[in-house]
Amino acid sequence: MRIWFRDRQAIFWTFFLPLVLISVFGLLDFGSFNTVNLGIIDRAENDASRKLISDVRALNTFDISDELSEDEEREALLDGDRHLVLIIEPGFGETESPVNRRVSVVYNQGRAQESAAGQTIIQHVLDEMTFAEGDFTERFSIDASPADSRNLKFIDFLMPGVVAMSIMQMGLFSVAFSFVQLKSRGVLRRLQATPILPASFIFAQVFTRLTVSILQTLVLVGLAVLVFGVHLEGNLGFMLLLALLGGGVFVSMGFAVSGWAKTEDVAAPVANAIALPMMFLSGVFFPRGAMPGPLRAVADFLPLSYLADALRNVAVDGASLWSQWENVLGLVVWLAVTFFIAVRLFRWE
Amino acid sequence: MEQRSEIIQVQDLRKSYGSLSAVDGVSFSVGAGEVFGILGPNGAGKTTTVEILEGMRAPDSGTAVVNGIDVQKDPRAVKKIIGIQLQSSAFFDRLNLAEILDVMASLYHRKIDPITLLREVELDDRADALFKELSGGQKQRFSVASTLVNDPIILFLDEPTTGLDPQARRHMWELVQRFKSEGRTVLMTTHYMEEAEELCDRVAIMDHGKIVAMDRPAALVDALLSKGFQKERTEKLANLEDVFLDLTGRALRDGQALDDAC
Repeated sequence: MRIWFRDRQAIFWTFFLPLVLISVFGLLDFGSFNTVNLGIIDRAENDASRKLISDVRALNTFDISDELSEDEEREALLDGDRHLVLIIEPGFGETESPVNRRVSVVYNQGRAQESAAGQTIIQHVLDEMTFAEGDFTERFSIDASPADSRNLKFIDFLMPGVVAMSIMQMGLFSVAFSFVQLKSRGVLRRLQATPILPASFIFAQVFTRLTVSILQTLVLVGLAVLVFGVHLEGNLGFMLLLALLGGGVFVSMGFAVSGWAKTEDVAAPVANAIALPMMFLSGVFFPRGAMPGPLRAVADFLPLSYLADALRNVAVDGASLWSQWENVLGLVVWLAVTFFIAVRLFRWE
Repeated sequence: MEQRSEIIQVQDLRKSYGSLSAVDGVSFSVGAGEVFGILGPNGAGKTTTVEILEGMRAPDSGTAVVNGIDVQKDPRAVKKIIGIQLQSSAFFDRLNLAEILDVMASLYHRKIDPITLLREVELDDRADALFKELSGGQKQRFSVASTLVNDPIILFLDEPTTGLDPQARRHMWELVQRFKSEGRTVLMTTHYMEEAEELCDRVAIMDHGKIVAMDRPAALVDALLSKGFQKERTEKLANLEDVFLDLTGRALRDGQALDDAC
C-alpha cells in the first residue's frame, strides 16, 4: 500500500507546534529558584543536635524533612527532591567526642545556588551556637560533600506530557480533518470505485499516522534532550511502544469523529471539544494532583492521562513498561472502545 | 450488435430510498464492445442504476451480472475489471496528476506509466499539476484517465460531458469512440441527446425509475416518425453549436479556462 506523505503543512504543524510549546515552557523554566529543601538526619539525638535542629527550623527558610531514614534521604537527594541533607553524627557537641565540632552535609551538585545558600545558613546557625558558648577557638564547621543528583526541572516533567499531547493532536486532528475532507470532497467515493477493501485503506491510514507518531516522539525527545538538557532516564523503546499504543487510541478516536461528522465544519469543533478538556485535565502541563477531587476522579480515566503518566514514569523515573501495566491497560481499553466506535461509524460517503 | 455476447445483464433491478422508488424494475443487457447510453431527466434513476452495476450500491432486489460475475456477490471482482468515472470526482490534494495515477494503479496492484495514460487524454504536459489546478474539461479528462489505470474491459461514464464547453465535449466524444475501437464496452449516462445519437450504439431512456424505451437511436427516431410525429420547425442543416464551433474552432481551450480560473 502506498502512503501519501504530502501534507507538508500538516507535517509542519505536527512537529512544530509541540516544539514551540516545549520551547516556550523550556525557556520560561518555571522551577528556577524556590525554597531550599533540607533533609535532616539526627544520629546524635542529644541536646546539642536538638538545639541545632530547632534553630534551623526556626529560620523558616528551609523546607525540612526529618522523618526519613538516611537511605531514604540520600535517595531523595539523588532524585533531586532535596537540595541538601544535614547529617548530625553521634557525639555532636559532646566534649569527649572527636567529631564534636563537625556536622556533615551532602549537597546537590546540580543545584549550586540552593545548596550553597543552605550551607551558608547552616554555617550561620552553627556560628551562633559557637558564639553562645563563648568559645571561639573551636568553631562548629561543616564537612560538605557533593552528591551527583538527577535534578528534575519543569521541562523534565513537561516533555513526556507534550509528547503525549502531540500524539493526541496528531491522531485526533489529522485523522478527523483529512478523513472528513476526503469524505466530503468525494475522494473516498472514488476509492470505493476501486477494489480496495475499506480495512486496507484504514490500515494504510493508521499505519501512516503511527509512523508519524513514532517520528514525532523521536524528534521531540531528541530535541528535549539535546537542546533543553532533559534527563531521559527511561528506555526509549518503551516510550515508542507507548507512543504507538497511544497513537492507536487517538487515531481510532479521529476515525470515530470523522465517521460521524459529515463536513470539516462539524469535525473541527467536535475534535476540539474532545482534545481541549483532555489537554488541561490530563496533567500534560501541570500535575493532576492540584485538581479538586471529583474532577480528578474523571481526569484520571482519560486516555491522555494514561498516556502522559506512562510516558512520564518511563521517561523520568526510568520505569519499565511492565510496571506501567495499569496505564497500558487503560490505553488498551480505550483502544478497544474507540476502535469499536470507529468501525461502527465508518462511511464511504 | 445483438449477436455479440452480453457482458452486462440486468434483471428487474429495484432500489428505493424511503418512499421514493429510484430504480423500479429495470432490465437490460449490454453487448461486449457496445457503447450503451442511459438517458433520462434528472432523478430518473440513471446514476443509481449505474452505481448498482458498479457494485457501489446494493439493490433492494434484482440481479446484475457483469462479465459473468454477480455484482452483489463479488463487487470487488467486478471493480477489478471495470473503470468508473463518477459524476463528480475528487482526488488527493497534494499529489500531482502522475502521482495520483500511480496511487490509483497501486490500488489495483498494478504498475503503470502515468505519462502514457495522461497522453491518452492529452494531459501529459500537465503531469506535475495538481488536480485542483485543472480546468473543468481537464478535470473531466483526468477523471477518465484515472478510470483507465486498471485497463478495464468496461467503462462506466456518468455524465462525462456535463458542464463542458463544446470543444471539450467533442474531445470527450473522441475518447469514447477510441475506447470503443479498442474493444472496450462503454456504459454512459448523459443529458445530451445529440451526444447519445453520436456515440451510442443503443440507448435506454429512463423516467421515474423505469426504462421507457430502449433501442438504437436511429430506430427510436424512426419509431417516433412512424407514429406521425412532426417537428414544429423544420430542422436547418446546421445548428447554433455548429455556428459556435465554426467561430471558435475545435481546438481544446484548456489554457484559457485555466487563466479564467486563476
